[in-house]
Amino acid sequence: MTHALRISELRKTFGQQQVLDGVGFEVPKGAIMGLLGPNGAGKSTLIRSIMGIVEPDAGTIELNGTPWSRDSVRGIGYLPEERGLYRDMKVGEQAIYFARLKGMERADAVRELKIWFERLEVDGWWDKKVSDISKGMAQKIQFICTVVHKPELLILDEPLSGFDPINARRIVEEVRSLAASGTTILLSTHDMPSVERLCDAVVLIDRGRVVLSGGADELRETGWAGEQEVVFRGNDIAFTNALGALAHLDGIQPDSVEGTRKAAIRLRNREQPGQVLHALADAVDIVEFVKVRPTMESLFIQAVSGTSSTETTP
Amino acid sequence: MKGSLVGAVIGREWRTRVFKKSFLLGTLLMPFLGVGFIALTVMLTEGTETQNLVLVEDTPGLITRMDAASGQFVPRCPGCFPERDNLEYRFTREAPADSVWKLDGYTALVEFDESVLQNKAGYLVYETSPGMQAKRRIERDLSHAMEHARVLESTELDWTEYQRLKFDLNLVDREALDAGSRTEGGGEEIRGFVGFMFSAVLFLVLAVYGGLILRSVVEEKSNRVVEVLIAAVRPEELLLGKVIGMGAVALTQIVAWSVLSTAVFTLFQFVFDSGLMPGNMAPGAGEVPADLLTVMAENEFTKILIEINWALMVFSTVVYFVGGYLLYGSLYAVVGASVQSEQEGQGMVFPLIMPLMFAYFFGLQAIENPEMAAFSWLSWFPLTSPVIMLIRVAVGVPMWELVLSIALLLLTARFMLWMAGRAYRHGVLAGDSTSGWKLLLQWVRGNGG
Repeated sequence: MTHALRISELRKTFGQQQVLDGVGFEVPKGAIMGLLGPNGAGKSTLIRSIMGIVEPDAGTIELNGTPWSRDSVRGIGYLPEERGLYRDMKVGEQAIYFARLKGMERADAVRELKIWFERLEVDGWWDKKVSDISKGMAQKIQFICTVVHKPELLILDEPLSGFDPINARRIVEEVRSLAASGTTILLSTHDMPSVERLCDAVVLIDRGRVVLSGGADELRETGWAGEQEVVFRGNDIAFTNALGALAHLDGIQPDSVEGTRKAAIRLRNREQPGQVLHALADAVDIVEFVKVRPTMESLFIQAVSGTSSTETTP
Repeated sequence: MKGSLVGAVIGREWRTRVFKKSFLLGTLLMPFLGVGFIALTVMLTEGTETQNLVLVEDTPGLITRMDAASGQFVPRCPGCFPERDNLEYRFTREAPADSVWKLDGYTALVEFDESVLQNKAGYLVYETSPGMQAKRRIERDLSHAMEHARVLESTELDWTEYQRLKFDLNLVDREALDAGSRTEGGGEEIRGFVGFMFSAVLFLVLAVYGGLILRSVVEEKSNRVVEVLIAAVRPEELLLGKVIGMGAVALTQIVAWSVLSTAVFTLFQFVFDSGLMPGNMAPGAGEVPADLLTVMAENEFTKILIEINWALMVFSTVVYFVGGYLLYGSLYAVVGASVQSEQEGQGMVFPLIMPLMFAYFFGLQAIENPEMAAFSWLSWFPLTSPVIMLIRVAVGVPMWELVLSIALLLLTARFMLWMAGRAYRHGVLAGDSTSGWKLLLQWVRGNGG
């Protein structure tokens, strides 16, 4: 299978600091991959290496199955975390300029930009100077400048920063739409909900190394330690007695529906949830028996700090 | 593809600056200010120059004799006192008191005694200074008259024979100058001054547009555009586009100034020659209004302007502008890439443009002595040649030296552009923690990212 991006054994040192220490992962074509990691983990250096802004000391980068080249990078849509626009330039002229730097002819750029401006409802700002528009509006313009040339690979570094919730949702929809049309996306962010909503796969790096990678579902499944949520009608003592040695009870509290109780349990043997359900069903009236997989955030924290944390979101 | 990327960068730099109100205003205003300055000089010359009537008190009778027909003292050498605008002489053996000769309409009194032939000193007495130009003319005229008196007193030659025998040697180095580079016409000092005017303009343009490059690079760093740019364009290409784009802005301004200045000057000349100017509108009976060029030729400053070999000077200026601009523009860009603010950049730029400033001040001194050896060396050295060589071109320079100087400048500029491109990437993407000389030193040591 040809990957949109394949990175192997990438290393980079700045002075005495090893920023990338043998990083390697693959991004399948058409996937949305989350690039996660704490501050200073090496994400920006990794992205800059892909973009040819930083020259790695060792390792290889392949784009669409071919070795990295300056010309292949120009096709990538890149939205850096630290981004901006020329304040004294008109919005439309500026967007055309960036599109031309991505190899578009002026006429094509104008046509495509008009479509995007209309789609993100910024078409009234074409002739305004950047200094006259809001930060959120400028963020939209930057997003448009990143995607207007229809890149096959899109690298977005904190794309939602600076957006209000409504516009953030709008951008998430556009990212989804781009992925649906075949664009491969590498998404670097600290916004875990957007990772949950968007990413098919994630790669987590810490101190310049990959500490976790794989499909989002697969990772959450692997990280599941037997947590279950049980909604029932009945006596708490009967429920606890029924659990016996099969599971550990983390707590019981009233549920939103009157007369029901909600319990958080951890199976002693995560392979046999049916056995626990059967035992509980004999003692109380079971309303829900839901598997609680770890969130991306808890996986992130666990991987980085070594501590375990789960939340009860199904 | 690469060409179109650089072209896009050039286009952006050019458009965003040329269509700015401040640029348009400056470009349109400068020619009017320049020609207005000339017009003011001419109008002041024509309209307000003092009419000097000088009384020469020749007590020992060295240079005057009594003319029996008129009953007045007249010069022994009439040719020593040529007819001049705004300057007339009267002669006497004994001048009245100051309060009296002033009442008689004289503006100045020249006094000397018998010792003048030995100590070469006399007095110019006035209430209001006749001006430097009139004073020089009076000195020149009286020196000729004294010389005339000495010749008649000490030799058996008559004045005409003496003048024929008098010899002023003008040395021209034939070996160093070929026919193509020899400049005809006025004195070297005047030509040197013309060259210096051009080099001064070039110095200003290099400093101003270098400063604009620095500001532009710092702006791209501070508004975070640079990372998007570097992802699309090589740092070397971005730098090249930026420097060329800004240079195109400078050339646009220079061309616009030249065209507009010519147009405005032509209009001014037309208005002046048609007698509509205040200083030229009321000629006396039988007088023909002087045309502008004649009036300018009579003024020491404006005279220089019409003695310029414009074609040669403009060609040299353009070549040295291109070379000098690429060289210093690259330096400014590297500085811009290595600092966090324009103020920090200005501090760093100062030592880098010291050679240019040195050349500027040296050029000022070298006008009077253009043949000194250091003048030649500095006109070859690329960091100083853009300023120095323009003075030499105006004075007269061997073609091989000109070619060598241009070749060295362009090669150095090309090398500097290449170096700057490498430093640029390291600088523009460096974090906020490192900047200035520290960053440049890191890059020199090869710790770039």
